Amino acid sequence: MLLSRGTKLWKVRSVPLCRLYNSTTTKNALAATQKATDNDEYWETPQYPEIKDTSFDGRKKDEAKTWHEQIQKTPTVEEKLIKINMPRYYGYKVVHMNEERLPYNCLPAIQHYTRTHFEPMENEVKEDEKLSAFVTALKERIVDVVEFSHDFYRYKLDLNPEMDAVEREKTYTQIIVEQIHRELTNNLAADFPHLHELEVDYKPRHEAFWAVGGIEAPKNVIKSKEGREWQKDSAKDPVDRFMQYKSEPYLALRHQSQLQPWKNENEYTNLTLAKGLPRYEYDPRTLGYITGYQHGTNIPGYWPSNVNTFGFISYQTRAPFLRRPESYGEEDKLNALHAHAIQSSFAWLLAQANYYGFNTFSELTYPMNTQTILTNGKQWSFYEYQLNTLLMYGNQVDENPRVNNCRGTTELTLYQEIDSNGKVVGFNEEVLKHLIKCYSKTPDVRRSVDELTPFLDKQYKRIADYPDEEKRSFLDKVFKHMCSNRPRHLELPEIYMWEKIYKIDNKTRPMDAKRRFFELSINPWKRTLDQYDKVYIPKAERPEGPKSKNKFRKTYFP
Amino acid sequence: MSTRWYPLYQRGNPQLRVFLPNFWMKLIRPSEPQPKNIVTFSVSMEMTKHDVKNYLEKIYKVPVMDVRTRIALGATKRDVTYGYVTKHDDMKIAYVTLPKEMEFTFPEMFTKKDDAKKADEKAMEDTKQGFKQFLERNKKRPGTPGWYSI
Repeated sequence: MLLSRGTKLWKVRSVPLCRLYNSTTTKNALAATQKATDNDEYWETPQYPEIKDTSFDGRKKDEAKTWHEQIQKTPTVEEKLIKINMPRYYGYKVVHMNEERLPYNCLPAIQHYTRTHFEPMENEVKEDEKLSAFVTALKERIVDVVEFSHDFYRYKLDLNPEMDAVEREKTYTQIIVEQIHRELTNNLAADFPHLHELEVDYKPRHEAFWAVGGIEAPKNVIKSKEGREWQKDSAKDPVDRFMQYKSEPYLALRHQSQLQPWKNENEYTNLTLAKGLPRYEYDPRTLGYITGYQHGTNIPGYWPSNVNTFGFISYQTRAPFLRRPESYGEEDKLNALHAHAIQSSFAWLLAQANYYGFNTFSELTYPMNTQTILTNGKQWSFYEYQLNTLLMYGNQVDENPRVNNCRGTTELTLYQEIDSNGKVVGFNEEVLKHLIKCYSKTPDVRRSVDELTPFLDKQYKRIADYPDEEKRSFLDKVFKHMCSNRPRHLELPEIYMWEKIYKIDNKTRPMDAKRRFFELSINPWKRTLDQYDKVYIPKAERPEGPKSKNKFRKTYFP
Repeated sequence: MSTRWYPLYQRGNPQLRVFLPNFWMKLIRPSEPQPKNIVTFSVSMEMTKHDVKNYLEKIYKVPVMDVRTRIALGATKRDVTYGYVTKHDDMKIAYVTLPKEMEFTFPEMFTKKDDAKKADEKAMEDTKQGFKQFLERNKKRPGTPGWYSI
């Protein structure tokens, strides 16, 4: 009797459970209900949910993909960059790239890091009537400009004779570049009205941040993975490295329209060409690059609200080449010039693309172009760069069929020398022709706002568009701090040498109280951007009144 | 060159003393993979980049493109019996870049030893397997001596 009563009770209790179970629509059933017409009760072919790879690697890939999608969906330009930097409070470990550090044989590495196909350009410009007319009209003026610049440089040198060779070259080139630009725009603007609309940046900040895949894992990563049973097989898999380019060109010219691309989509989408690009799979440090910690920054030399957003020409320095040993040879010097042109053009275009919502995880939807001039006042080289792709992370290095294109001349000499009377000897018209050719290119590619910014919000493209003032000022503060390259106001916790020797490497102090971060298994590098004590609001200032329990200011991290 | 001072003249013998240079370089196997044209050396702590370059170029006629050096921290070790900590000397490591056409691979000098080791390991493995088989065979009659079965 008891037993049967018990059974009955169990039945009564389990019925709602079963009913619940029966009434819950499974994913399959859900999919099956979304049919084409209401009359059909079933699908002809069974509808299954997507099968996810539940292995460790699969889950990691899925996480990365979700993160990239989240970045793409983030509405504004500034928030996207904050979102990328969210995982690290003290900044990512980045490889520093700049013109100061162009190691021996660096061209293949820079081609790999920027996914660039390089082709040489003719040193001679095709002559036509118009060009020769300009050359004859301008030649005398340019010679005058060079002589004047040299004179002014001598005067500056007298004022500050302590300058070292690199600084001297920078001073001289800054003068000559500004003067030549002035002369060219003054004389060509009548025939090329776009020169009226140029915006000029003097020594702007050009910075760019991107991820490159297909690089061998460093020793510490391999060691840490080998210590975990489930990661042993993938310990030697290639890893992504973050690159941070920083530089200051002498002059950067911008326009509101884009330059015409010189490669079409069929030419730059070519998997065989992409696979044939040079690869440098070793750790960048083996070449002499140095690493550091900082937030990823994309700065094209202006703030996101500027109108003239497309690069026209940038005059880059080559003064640090004076510090490269002569033993590297002429061929390597030429290759390093190409490498510097590639990295500076790529970085500037990437930073510009960033203001249109693209970044190292969101692919470009249209090509972007620029022209780059490397000069020391006497030697000039001219480059054209077309940015077609930004994807280099993870497997993209093998899978992405797109390549970026660069073409450039070798070194050209503007003049042989300046004699003791300050007169130019042996003026080379070829350089002038190249300069006129660069300035005469009309930026005339215009796109609609939707086409330009496919990954930005329709309504809010910059944080300045947000109506909520608190949110706007919060994001502005975070963004400006990130772009300032300033370190955090409290330094990173440090492991002192005595601690490494007596506490970590040799456990000689077991009785000490465990209070330091490394004894509490805290990794300060893993601290995220939003892990800090929130700002306290004094009672008198609380918006809901002094009795309000909302003690801390809201944060608006994406 | 030597960093030691040449001794001042003093009466008595020996008058002429020969000092060996205390600049030395030792080829070492790189701890991480690196391009074929980079060679790793452990060098005397007093040597600078220029010294390394001159040493290789002037004595061995090896063309050197670039030299980078770093100082590796010596490992610490704890005494098993008394528990005090000792430290190995720090080491200066020089990465020498050769022209890009040149290659250098660190020689494998102990392959023979490796082969012998492998043979030993194989013999050991065979013996282990044999013993396992023996145990399997005598599962139902434990304690039987090895010579008992046919």
